[in-house]
Amino acid sequence: MKDDVIVCNPRPLRFWQRFYLVEVLKGLGVTLRHFLGNLFSRKYTVTVEWPEVKREYSERLRGRHVILTREDGSPRCVACYMCETACPADCIHIEADEDPNAPVEWEKQPKVFTIDLLRCVFCGFCVDACPKEAIIMTRTHEMAFRTREEAVIGLDQLLYRGPLSELDMGYRPYYGEPKTRIKLPIPTRPEP
Amino acid sequence: MRTPDGSSAFLTTKLEKLLDKARANSLWPYPFGTACCGIEFMSVMMGHYDLSRFGAEVVRFSPRQSDLLIVAGTITDKLAPVLVRIYEQMAEPKYVISMGACACTGGFYRAYHVVQGIDEFIPVDVYVPGCPPTPEALFAGVLKLQEMIERGETHYQRMVAAQRAAAGA
Amino acid sequence: MATREARSAAVRQAFPDENLVRELPGGDQQTFVVDRKVLWDFAKHLKEHPDLNFDLLLDICGVDWWGKREPRFDAVYHLYSLRHGHRLRIKVPVAEEDPVVPSVYGLWKAADWFEREAYDMFGIRFSGHPNLRRILTHDSFQGHPLRKDYDPGQRWLLREEEQYVPQWAKIPQEDEDHFETQVLNLGPAHPATHGTLRTVVRLDGEVITEAETEIGYLHRCFEKMSERHTWNQVIPYTDRLNYCSSMINGVGYALTVENMLGIEAPPRAQVVRVILSELSRIMDHIVDIGANLTDLGAMTPFLYLYQAREEIYSLLEACSGGRLTVSYVRIGGLAEDVPPDFADAVRYLLRRIPPLVDDMERLITENRIFRERTEGIGKISAEEAINWGWTGPCLRACGVAYDVRKAHPYLGYDGYDFKVPIAHTGDTYARYLVRVEEMRQSLRIVEQALANLPDGPIIVENHHVALPPKARVYTEMESLIYHFKLIMEGMKVPAGEYYGYVEGANGELGFYAISDGGGKPYRLKVRPPCFAIFQAYPHMLKGHLVADSVAILGSLNIIAGELDR
Repeated sequence: MKDDVIVCNPRPLRFWQRFYLVEVLKGLGVTLRHFLGNLFSRKYTVTVEWPEVKREYSERLRGRHVILTREDGSPRCVACYMCETACPADCIHIEADEDPNAPVEWEKQPKVFTIDLLRCVFCGFCVDACPKEAIIMTRTHEMAFRTREEAVIGLDQLLYRGPLSELDMGYRPYYGEPKTRIKLPIPTRPEP
Repeated sequence: MRTPDGSSAFLTTKLEKLLDKARANSLWPYPFGTACCGIEFMSVMMGHYDLSRFGAEVVRFSPRQSDLLIVAGTITDKLAPVLVRIYEQMAEPKYVISMGACACTGGFYRAYHVVQGIDEFIPVDVYVPGCPPTPEALFAGVLKLQEMIERGETHYQRMVAAQRAAAGA
Repeated sequence: MATREARSAAVRQAFPDENLVRELPGGDQQTFVVDRKVLWDFAKHLKEHPDLNFDLLLDICGVDWWGKREPRFDAVYHLYSLRHGHRLRIKVPVAEEDPVVPSVYGLWKAADWFEREAYDMFGIRFSGHPNLRRILTHDSFQGHPLRKDYDPGQRWLLREEEQYVPQWAKIPQEDEDHFETQVLNLGPAHPATHGTLRTVVRLDGEVITEAETEIGYLHRCFEKMSERHTWNQVIPYTDRLNYCSSMINGVGYALTVENMLGIEAPPRAQVVRVILSELSRIMDHIVDIGANLTDLGAMTPFLYLYQAREEIYSLLEACSGGRLTVSYVRIGGLAEDVPPDFADAVRYLLRRIPPLVDDMERLITENRIFRERTEGIGKISAEEAINWGWTGPCLRACGVAYDVRKAHPYLGYDGYDFKVPIAHTGDTYARYLVRVEEMRQSLRIVEQALANLPDGPIIVENHHVALPPKARVYTEMESLIYHFKLIMEGMKVPAGEYYGYVEGANGELGFYAISDGGGKPYRLKVRPPCFAIFQAYPHMLKGHLVADSVAILGSLNIIAGELDR
């Protein structure tokens, strides 16, 4: 037990440390090194020049949700209420509807599907819960609303009909080799 | 200065526009950071993001010296009177950004001691979602607020405008 | 170390009557059911008997068995012996009609706030407690929220004039020699209280003569919320306990539930948990040291240290998708595997963090101004600190080398070579030194863990606990059924109770979980390290200057999310 302990008691100040002036100069040396490093070699400059330059988040970032669609443009969602149940914040609201021209695989579709983005805690549990890979998250996270009503988004805003390759996908069901790279120091990309 | 029909004169309108523009670009935030969002607010102020690039450099911990209240974190029933008092003490014109799910709506704390959105007590101009929001999201909120101030769309400015209209009529 | 049998014998010898003191068989730790009539004597015996020597009171909480059992309540005490390293639980059944239990404040001062909390949440009254009033909720609150028959959505509004003012603060002090006393509120909106703590002090000139702390400004009802969510859904809530190091909370909670289920996370998940926990610990110490220095007027070190923190965020975000509230841990493992260049990123951090810490040390550690502001300030002796229930870096700064990672290794911490930093002066400066050294030791652990990062699965294959892989959910009916049952009903944790504990950034972070066999926790009590630490704060303040109160508060690292839950 004794060997596992490292004692870090305060050391008495040495003579020149009491003098104060030496210490001030040493301290100024540290800050000056950072300052000059910033000024000339940009060595310590870490500021992300948002919005011209953006910090690149990984492909697992939990941002705003989208609902993917099938090839015919209908939502992949089958209104199974799994995400609504899994959501700890109860921010998802679904009302199911019979799908008139449904094949055997599913028979329901969402009539109403709203997410209250101001309630949402972006935990990703809805994505984990979805059995159809319908709801996924994007990397859209720069959001701000003027009213609370504006933040409750419905199917019209949630549905994504474009090609998947153009979607800025964030947190989504994971299988196989992950594609993300961490790339430290913090990766940035200029705004296109 | 008013024209006989009650509308403001040309000069004052222009002056107010200029003032609004100036105000929008020199916000003095009061961070009411209570919880996790307060930690993200630190990130916003630190080297990587640096809110001062948007003219909101001077963080004041005295409500008397600030005009932008950033509520970052959960507000509970116990803290609500304090929040209201701080809002009342702030210098006018004043604006409110509600940062994060808890401050906006109570988030996933639908519970006996948590305020379900600070707009129960004080008017909110911009809601920023996220739990906590990324620094970029707060930036987006600040930019949105600046835009609103320039257009005179914040709660405070609309209230003043309504009062003027009532006085003029 | 005395065995369980020896402890039973030592208890039985003094309390032979089975009706008063009864030992429960089995269980995760030795448990005695004690009649309230003998609680005081029993507790005194536990504390003073040389073979028992339970000097640290970890936690007191209530449990409500509404409609399941008579008497309705239990008051549960968790004790620990620093000398022997053993644990013990006491349960005192309390009837609803007469919910009175003798207070143990006279034996362990740590009981002060814990008993108030049990009173506030369950209405169990502790006779002999010096100041038994509500602590987490406000004075206008009606009822006791953690009782099972309390509606979780029932709120009570507090008006401004109803806010609590201590009795002594209302009475002006008119002694002849005190001609300049005044009552001052530090907080809740004071820059150094970080939003949610309030201390009322009486000042004689600049010297604090009396102080009382009011907390609960961030009481977010974690425990009530966890009773209404499935075991997995509690994980995002745990992230928001100590939000400076959210990973450690998740790990502690997952370990507790895994122990109840009798499963163990795969080796790879365990090592990743260690790496990210230790990086989170560094992050937490960065915020603590940085905020403390900022409050004392030194902004620069915080700016430097925060660069490291921001880069750790980047790593956490790449693994989990969230910067601060990670929700990365799942019961039985982790949500997903780490990215392929995880090791490179951690190695980069291992190179990046030490120079930043060195720069901070060069500016601060031997700085005469800083030392004069912190040395001898907020001094506390080891006996006092143990009496108040302190753990973690604050206790180690008093010279007690108690670290859960060493004393009761979990996640294979016994396989890592690291040292426990201690100091002997117990003041604000010592707490700073201990934290700085802990950051360096954590880096050592990360380095070793990274060298032995095994390959393999990241979560258990048991589909009664962990969601099946998505690829199989989409294609196989059986996996889909497991998936459906886990989401809709939650995992079934066998009925029973368990006290799990890990070394949080502030000390021993305990989770006391009770399951009734259903998909949701029946009761989940967090033993927050700051709660015990902060209750000593008003007592430490006496005799210090107002400006010192800021220095002391910063060094204790009070995280309101964990303090008030």
